[in-house]
Amino acid sequence: MSRQDVTALKPFFSVLIIIASLFSLVFFNMETRRLGYVVLKLSREEKRNRDASRSQMIHLAKITRPERLHTVAQSRLSLNTAEAGQIIQMTESGIALRQ
Amino acid sequence: MKSRIVVLLIFVTLLWTMMLSRAAFLQLTPNDRLNSLKKRQFETVVALKSRRGDILDRKGNELAVSSAAYSIFADPKILENKQQVAKMLSPLIGVNQKEIFGKIKSKKNRFVWLQRKLDPAVKEQIAEMKIRGLGFVEETRRIYPNDSLLSHVLGFTGSDGKGLEGLEAQVNVPLEGGRENVTMEKDARGRPLIVNGQLFHQLPDGSEVQLTIDRDLQFMLERELADAVVRHQADNAVGIILDAQTSEVLAMANAPLFNSNNAANVSASTRRNRAVTDSFEPGSTLKTFTIAGALRDGWLEPNTRIDCEGGKMKIGKRTIREAESNEKHKFGMLTSAEILAFSSNVGTTKIAFKLGPDKVRETFTDFGFGRRTEIDLPGEVRGIMHPLPWKEHQFSNISFGQGITVTPLQMANAYAAIANGGWLRKPYIVKAIRDVSTGEIIETQPKTLGHPLTSEQAMKMKLMLMGVTMKEGSGYVARVPGFPVAGKTGTAQKVDPNGRGYIKGGYVSSFAGFLPANDPKFVIYIVVDQPRKGYYGATVAAPLFSRIAKFAVRQYGLNPVLISEDDIIKRPTEISRELASRTKVEKEVEKLAKTSSVSGLENVSVADNASVAAGVKAASAEVIVPNLDGLSLREVMLRLQGQSVPLKIHGHGFVSSTRPAPGAKLDDGEELAVFLEPEN
Repeated sequence: MSRQDVTALKPFFSVLIIIASLFSLVFFNMETRRLGYVVLKLSREEKRNRDASRSQMIHLAKITRPERLHTVAQSRLSLNTAEAGQIIQMTESGIALRQ
Repeated sequence: MKSRIVVLLIFVTLLWTMMLSRAAFLQLTPNDRLNSLKKRQFETVVALKSRRGDILDRKGNELAVSSAAYSIFADPKILENKQQVAKMLSPLIGVNQKEIFGKIKSKKNRFVWLQRKLDPAVKEQIAEMKIRGLGFVEETRRIYPNDSLLSHVLGFTGSDGKGLEGLEAQVNVPLEGGRENVTMEKDARGRPLIVNGQLFHQLPDGSEVQLTIDRDLQFMLERELADAVVRHQADNAVGIILDAQTSEVLAMANAPLFNSNNAANVSASTRRNRAVTDSFEPGSTLKTFTIAGALRDGWLEPNTRIDCEGGKMKIGKRTIREAESNEKHKFGMLTSAEILAFSSNVGTTKIAFKLGPDKVRETFTDFGFGRRTEIDLPGEVRGIMHPLPWKEHQFSNISFGQGITVTPLQMANAYAAIANGGWLRKPYIVKAIRDVSTGEIIETQPKTLGHPLTSEQAMKMKLMLMGVTMKEGSGYVARVPGFPVAGKTGTAQKVDPNGRGYIKGGYVSSFAGFLPANDPKFVIYIVVDQPRKGYYGATVAAPLFSRIAKFAVRQYGLNPVLISEDDIIKRPTEISRELASRTKVEKEVEKLAKTSSVSGLENVSVADNASVAAGVKAASAEVIVPNLDGLSLREVMLRLQGQSVPLKIHGHGFVSSTRPAPGAKLDDGEELAVFLEPEN
């Protein structure tokens, strides 16, 4: 391609670059917006998961409350409250003591 | 033709120029009307609110938590097929179908609440139905996972999430966190947009509040108090457990209990935290402080003898008597320790009279009576302590706990001052506040309010209070096997709220004490209000104290201080070694019996180790102290097994010395003191 041909094509390339720049601008704006929606969706998903995890934590706290454990131990496992002498304690000096 | 084209071109060019100029004018020159129109169309204001912070116990167990909840509303104007909608929603939101239909049938309303604070799972189910005209508002819901546990202390929140009572109200500001209105751009469907990299953000949660409360101790205390109310047909009961050294509140309970999740359905009087909001005449538990006043004045010692005048004392026209008028209570000369142990009204009055009202009042004030403890709980009262001068009979009554009112917390804290060596601390229940977003922790530090006793005086008071739980003392049933207990019973007459004087047969039974008395860890105060089955502090509150104290020492793994040989559990190998040594002893006894002229030894049974030892001792006539240095307590026990040597153990670890020293002769009945020290 001769120098004259290149010179003749310059206006065309200029217009092409301008159009490409405009299209890129529009594309990036659209992409930003699309990613914004993805982020929004994911943040809602994250919130939902956090809420679910919190619900599980609350459920765990409810089922391990002392009153329930006491009732389950007595009614389902037939356990009784420890009497004096039933608990054996290891002291710092290695002696096992009845309490 | 050409001229027409030129005209058209000029016209179009002019038109475009006008349009561009107008566009440039609208874009570049500020216009308030257009700006507000733009804002209304493309901007939305989102109100962001922090999730209310959690309340935890000292071990991190949840006591109050918040979770997301959704309130559902309807726009009846848009809503279609209303009967069907009501039928579908009814089982999900737990509202009657007719009631729902009644709310949505009229098209006049544009907004009606159908149900508040639904679970997120239910919200999801409804959202999946895609019913046009229904909407949700996100809120938070306060949940108390332990139902009634610590309900009087925690309080509750209103429907707007603000703390209304108890700790919820007291620490509302850090718990609540922040509120912020954020303006965001939205798209045509109302979804928030990311502009200039700004993300849709959320406010951090409210701060986490950790309490000094121990959930297990609290549960035990509440259960025992609730049982006591039923067992003694009492009006109510209050209990407090404090850390003896710092006055941290380990447990604070009231009975009857109520469920914090339904606090609004309970009467205000049931919800009251009587440990701080109510004051009452304490009775004999206050005698401790009259005697403490005399002790710090310098003229009274635990063995100072006072004439208790046979259980009666005339003051003007009135007569002060002991709690009962039987022979047992007609006290003569008693030491001050005995006055406390037997709870003598006359003895206490005489001590108070010698001390004078000024000093008694000053002592009570120094121990924190008549002023708020400044605990971080709302509604605390200061109690009633009348100003001076006191009439003689009034002074006498005050000295043994009538005619003065105190709160349970004041009384527990005053006993803590004796337990910790004479320092009055400020009780507290909030251990730390943690900022969830920054992780910053603000910890509450113990604060000293005064020094009513020297450590020596506090030690003397401890010894005197230990006498109360000895065999003859009024608080004998409060003892805890393995642990020395110091404390005092109280049986106070109850003031008639409708007139002068006291309610006939109305009493307040109480017990205040601490353990282990040699190195106190827990101060426990129990009050049972108007018990109808039994009323003495010794029979109602003291056994309750004992049960709670037993649980507390086991829960915290405290080593027993008072050890008897029966408490020590031997290993199987030790048992067989012991049996072997018994056989040796048996042979020794037989040999001695054959060679000695002591009669009766032939019939000694080796099954009774103690009698064998006595026999050996009798035969040998003396016991030489063995060298026990470096042995553990168990090894000492094994070494001395079979010898009836009274032992007194001091400390823990390994033997450092004995008194008498090794090799010395031990006289009959003489005690062998063994001093142990930790290995290092």
